[in-house]
Amino acid sequence: MAEPLIVVEELHRHYVVGGETVRALDGVSFTIERGEWVAIVGQSGSGKSTLMNLLGCLDTPSAGVYRLNGSDVEGLADDQLADLRNREIGFVFQTFQLLPRASAVQNVELPLVYRGVPRRERRARAEAALRAVGLANRMTHRPNELSGGQRQRVAIARALVGEPSILLADEPTGNLDSATGEEIIRLFSELHQRGHTIILVTHEPRLAARCPRAIRLSDGRVVGDGPGAEVAALSGARAVHA
Amino acid sequence: MNRVTRAFVRAGAELAEAVRIALGSLVGARLRSFLTTLGIVIGVMTVIAIVAIIQGLNRSFEGQIANLGANTLYVSKFAWLAQGRGEWWEMRNRKDLGKRELAAVEREVTLATAVAPQAGTRGTVTRLDKELSGVQLIGTNARYLDTGAGSVQAGRFLTDTDVDLERAVAVLGHAVAERLFPGASPESVLGQRVTLEGHPFTVVGVMAKRGQMLGMDMDSNVTMPFTTFLRDLGSKRSLNLAVASAPEDLSALEDQIVGVLRRVRHVPPDKKDDFAINRQEQFLRIYRQLTGALYGVAIGVGLITLVVGGIGIMNIMLVSVTERTREIGVRRALGARRRTILLQFLIESSVVAALGGAVGTTLGLGVAQLVALLTPLAAAVTPSAVALGLGFSAGVGLLFGSWPAWRAARLDPVEALRYE
Repeated sequence: MAEPLIVVEELHRHYVVGGETVRALDGVSFTIERGEWVAIVGQSGSGKSTLMNLLGCLDTPSAGVYRLNGSDVEGLADDQLADLRNREIGFVFQTFQLLPRASAVQNVELPLVYRGVPRRERRARAEAALRAVGLANRMTHRPNELSGGQRQRVAIARALVGEPSILLADEPTGNLDSATGEEIIRLFSELHQRGHTIILVTHEPRLAARCPRAIRLSDGRVVGDGPGAEVAALSGARAVHA
Repeated sequence: MNRVTRAFVRAGAELAEAVRIALGSLVGARLRSFLTTLGIVIGVMTVIAIVAIIQGLNRSFEGQIANLGANTLYVSKFAWLAQGRGEWWEMRNRKDLGKRELAAVEREVTLATAVAPQAGTRGTVTRLDKELSGVQLIGTNARYLDTGAGSVQAGRFLTDTDVDLERAVAVLGHAVAERLFPGASPESVLGQRVTLEGHPFTVVGVMAKRGQMLGMDMDSNVTMPFTTFLRDLGSKRSLNLAVASAPEDLSALEDQIVGVLRRVRHVPPDKKDDFAINRQEQFLRIYRQLTGALYGVAIGVGLITLVVGGIGIMNIMLVSVTERTREIGVRRALGARRRTILLQFLIESSVVAALGGAVGTTLGLGVAQLVALLTPLAAAVTPSAVALGLGFSAGVGLLFGSWPAWRAARLDPVEALRYE
């Protein structure tokens, strides 16, 4: 039997702030299968950002196991983490995080640059990714010449171009008006139907309710894991716990 | 094999990307880039200009010094390069060199291809109402020209017969002929009478123009048989001997001369030579020492300016790293390794510095040409100076860019992405 794409067991992440230990993640366990669309919800301070950083291999856990696509992230050197991010993770950020001086297609090419894909192939794949998110006619535009929704599409194209195992989206609609946000969510839905694994980190229950599955965090622990609509409906994690 | 090619493609792509980013951010902040590199520009400009001028001086010096025969030794009471007053007084009290020494060298120094005595003084030359003072009067023999002392333009040089018979004949230096006989052709001067320090002489030849050597006008002289010189202008003068040989024999020639002269002058074995053997090379050596010191100062000044420029670059790179913290975070999230970020910023700082170096080199060469045009100083441009300017400035960029680049590479991706 094939191992799940993501295995998280008893994951801890502690910070020492001003002599006090903050348990941002305090023993989190779950698995995510290939092709799932999972929301990670929680209020600010619940640990969801910390979890996202760990899942995205931007950070390493204080204790516990994180296996991504069969390889243990524990003990990897910085360079190996960089390579792992490049291969396995496609990031979509709330603030888009596009390079302002680069054109759309140059932005999308970036992960392939760091993978050593030859220029011509790189360009072709970046253009294909932009076409896939409906930006065929915006290739050479710079970010400041694009609308918010278009910028986020460029960011999604950039996340997809390297064919990673996971699409890791952090509040992808947070900086968009509701109509544009809806478009982006529909795009995620399409990508999910095409078989992509998507993890969507959000504080909005409304958004989590749209996902087939949601994991709710509170105070660094999992307080709910199930169908999106149900988990999203849990109001105030602490109340449920008590 | 496949992994290796992929690594190469990756390195190449990263490098190309780094250069593209570097140029992009330069163009993006033109004024800032310009101000950043100003220090480098000025430093490189200074060094290049000074180096070009020194090299120009060297060339013109070496050209002038070639007036001294390269294959000729100059035997004299005095060493050209005396060390201090004490030595000078010691040399002054030495026995004069005279006909006896000349005869011995002519007879016994077998490696010599030419031996020419030289007696010299400054004197006045007159012709009708024209009078030239401070003219170098030289007494020598027929071999003089074979010791690298120029050539005859018109008429003839001195002969052995002139010397033997103590004839009152003279060969005029180019400038002397021109000034005593304005407008006359050198040929028409032949056979004319001139008066040297009150003694009548007949002009038998005119020398070709030689130019200057070390500020000395090599054309303002009159040459006559040394026998006549000693008779008419003073017998108490010490002779100098110019002795020429084949270039490869020069050291052996010196040994022979030393042996002969010590014997003739009865120098006891435990005493030092009471004469000096000079050669052109000594001048070059001392000159190179002098300009070497000048080089040192110029390069010191340039280095200080480059350091100041480097600090400017470091400063602006630190600002740039801070400004682009989020960009660094994004790049790291997308798979850039630390050393990729390091490389990106290193390339940026060296490109800025090298561009500054290129501008500085161009300006420096311009300044050198301007100096050469407006002053008697010469300027020479050598590829090595240009390479030096560019190389140094790129090096400064690398050196002073390394700390900011290291800071960029050390950034934590999580923190960098969150940076506002």
